[in-house]
Amino acid sequence: MSAHYKRVTGDAVEYEVFARKTRVESLHQVGSVVAPDDDLAMAYARATYDEERWCEMAIVRKDHLIELWQPRETS
Amino acid sequence: MSISELVLSIADNKQMLGLRYAEWATRAPSLEADIAAAAMGLDDLGHSRVLYGCLELLGADPRGPERETDAGSLCALPYFDQPWTSWAQFVAANAILDTAFSLMIEACVNGSIEVLQHRLRKMLMEERYHFLHGRSWLRSGIEKGPLHEAWSQAIEWFGPPDGEVVALHREGLLSMGPPYLRTCLEEMLETRVPKLTIDWRSWSGPRRRNRPGGIDRHTFAMLRGLKERRFLPEGQRMPS
Repeated sequence: MSAHYKRVTGDAVEYEVFARKTRVESLHQVGSVVAPDDDLAMAYARATYDEERWCEMAIVRKDHLIELWQPRETS
Repeated sequence: MSISELVLSIADNKQMLGLRYAEWATRAPSLEADIAAAAMGLDDLGHSRVLYGCLELLGADPRGPERETDAGSLCALPYFDQPWTSWAQFVAANAILDTAFSLMIEACVNGSIEVLQHRLRKMLMEERYHFLHGRSWLRSGIEKGPLHEAWSQAIEWFGPPDGEVVALHREGLLSMGPPYLRTCLEEMLETRVPKLTIDWRSWSGPRRRNRPGGIDRHTFAMLRGLKERRFLPEGQRMPS
């Protein structure tokens, strides 16, 4: 039941991490982190995904994403 | 105290901070915190290398041969003498001591010595994430004991009100002196220094600490490569 697996417990929330290596490419999702606040999420994102030389990195709370549809749903 | 002795103190403390962080890379409360501990450990070990590399350029290198055999000759704070046994110790060091070291580095970067202005600037960018990590965990609340210890040692490390750091600041080599460093630390961490009684008479200027002793034997042996000798084939010596 991996689709229902959640690492989020307590006050922590999930953040999606986006990055790009050069100015000409678009930001793309590189992973996610779980943290109780934005500051810690920034620290975790930088620590976890810093192995590449990103020119830009950004995070967004997953619950702030506005979903249009999900897998198996039609538009 | 010369500026090179102060830089050596920052380097020794960052080296030990890095090692103590790394010891928590598989013991922190979450996977993310494990990774952050490992990453911050690597950062601080790297920073210590850069700081050691500045010593010769600053004039007489204050490192003597006793550092190879005597743990008590290193300049790290008592907070790093033993491995931390609780997460609260980690958080207090991360929030208070790491930030105190960063503020002193900032004082060097904005001071008048060119080599420090250039070589230490990048550290401050990396340290921003150490600060965010430490402050966030600090906000979540930790035990008073490690917190009080870290505050006390940070204020001691900044130095006495009439000490050498004051003189270095007056000469323009540092952009901040102890009172302002303390105020900045309080403001950044959004908290006040607890009531402290510091006996400056027993304070050691070169080591910037109030009690004798040094890091534990195991860590010192690892740091000096002494343990590697056990794995050498019989009769072979370590390369010098």
